[in-house]
Amino acid sequence: MRWALMALRNLARNGRRTFISLLVVGTGTAALVLTAGFILFNFRGLEGALVHGGLAHLEVADAAAAAPGQLDRPVTDALADWQALRARLQSLPEVAAAGANVHLMGVASTPAGKSASFVAVGAEPDREKAMGFNTRLRAGAVLPAAPPAEGDDAALLARGLAASLGAKPGDVVTLLALTPDGSLNALDVRVAGVLTTGVQDLDTRFVKLHLATAQRLLQSTGVSDLLVMLREGVPLDAGKRAVARAVAAHRPALAVVDWKARAPFYDQVKNLYLGIFWFLGTVILVLVVLSASNTLLMAVLERTRELGTLRAIGTSRAQLAAIVLLEALWLGLLGGALGCLLGWGATLLINASHLQMPPPPGAVEPIDVELALVPAAFAGTVALMLVVLAVAAVVPIARATRLRVAEALTAV
Amino acid sequence: MTDAASPASPLFSARGVVKHYRLGKVPVPALRGVDLEVERGEVVALAGPSGSGKTTLLNLFGGLDVPDEGAVMLAGRDLGALSEAERTRIRRHQLGFVFQTFNLVPVLTARENVEYPLWIAGTGAAERRRRAEAALAAVGLAERGGHRPDQLSGGERQRVAIARALVHEPLAVLADEPTGNLDSHNGEKVLDLLLRWNRESGATLVVATHDPAVLARLPRRVRLRDGAVVGDER
Repeated sequence: MRWALMALRNLARNGRRTFISLLVVGTGTAALVLTAGFILFNFRGLEGALVHGGLAHLEVADAAAAAPGQLDRPVTDALADWQALRARLQSLPEVAAAGANVHLMGVASTPAGKSASFVAVGAEPDREKAMGFNTRLRAGAVLPAAPPAEGDDAALLARGLAASLGAKPGDVVTLLALTPDGSLNALDVRVAGVLTTGVQDLDTRFVKLHLATAQRLLQSTGVSDLLVMLREGVPLDAGKRAVARAVAAHRPALAVVDWKARAPFYDQVKNLYLGIFWFLGTVILVLVVLSASNTLLMAVLERTRELGTLRAIGTSRAQLAAIVLLEALWLGLLGGALGCLLGWGATLLINASHLQMPPPPGAVEPIDVELALVPAAFAGTVALMLVVLAVAAVVPIARATRLRVAEALTAV
Repeated sequence: MTDAASPASPLFSARGVVKHYRLGKVPVPALRGVDLEVERGEVVALAGPSGSGKTTLLNLFGGLDVPDEGAVMLAGRDLGALSEAERTRIRRHQLGFVFQTFNLVPVLTARENVEYPLWIAGTGAAERRRRAEAALAAVGLAERGGHRPDQLSGGERQRVAIARALVHEPLAVLADEPTGNLDSHNGEKVLDLLLRWNRESGATLVVATHDPAVLARLPRRVRLRDGAVVGDER
């Protein structure tokens, strides 16, 4: 005979009431598990989109240009030895691939007289491929891996920019940019393809170039930064430390910046989601507390004479409290298990349904509604339910332990 | 049996005990200055009509309540001066209770009900089981230990309750109308069990009853009326 077994049998006494309470706890658990799954999927999706969309895990840049909050990356003399540096980074066991970038901005124009401002990234296509970057091409072809010969330069235009210029694959566009020494230079490039960045605002002005084309436009052999993609399973902090050690002796000093620092809105989005999660969670938990507390209180009131008898024959207040608390914890555990089962089934169903949500503000494509199945989220939610049920038991426990024994024995 | 206090003093004594209950805002007197002593090993009936105060006095002897005035002593210890936790410990280790409506825990089997006082006292599982089975055998229910209370007859339930009251070898058993819900045959059997236990253990038995058949078999009858002792027959 154990307290837990006695508590479980007590719950079984009023099966219908217990079942309803289990449904409330289970539904609350399932709602939390589903919300957590949705949010975690979005966190992962956003992280993947940022890391594989152009940020990579780490950036090595001129320390003077990479102060916290400073995101502009002009071509810098600090990375004059970028090829040797890239080779050194590439040789680190933590690193999957490394590549150089040139960032620039300027004005694009067409022979028809249309013009628009642009921001451009010059990159190494073969390195980007090794880093697993996604180019979301909407027309034409990607940039060739080999550096283009002079006069054979090409560009990928974001679709908003292509539309405003009236340019399509095969057309020639003239790019005008300010070189590092302050003079203007122009370069004719063939439109190889049209892409989308996934961000509406960026799609109106983004241009992707080969690194050699960007350097030709800027009349420079330098780069803005080096991007580093870590091997799968290497923690970001560990990878960052390894890369920082590798460039520690470099002069001028270089900074190693992780992708989160370069995408401050990631934390903002994360905090927004977490805020919504906790708001919804609090509402759900309050409902669970009220429902479970009512169930437990009714059970205590119905058993007044029985509890009085237990006190009469020597059960301490603490032991009586333990009985009621264990009943609450059983509700939490069984309801939580039921909720996990419901949540797991609903997650599989939703993921199999391939539902889509409209594009969020600023984005250009709808979002797939998918939920992550994270065992830790399930376990954490059940643990949370146990705490919540313990809170729900406070009033019933107070009621049970404050019974006046002689009066309780006469209760009907 | 455990008895930490003086063995020379009466087991129970009530001195000038006054107790009121409240009916709404009106205080209703239940005991009006009761003086009574019960010696160790005695069998005493508290007799009287409904409302005479016999259950109230039994509750005070059992530490289930405390007097408004006067003192109730158990083996020389003033129960009213003890904390609630100390009174609970005394009930757990030194007293047994039998109620008119049996008051078994419905979710526990007969054997688990009998084990319960040992369980809350921290007795080990094997010892608990051995003593519970012995107590059930002593009340003639060795074969019924696995049954829940709702699978037992009224007489069987009361015998389980008696086994529960005796299993931890208390100094005294306080029985409130133990035959009140039983037919005469089962009532006699229950009384037989309690008296046999008294003879064999030498422990004290206090029975609150208004059943003439029970009163006729008990050697001392303390009569109460309107909260006062009006007779003490030996």
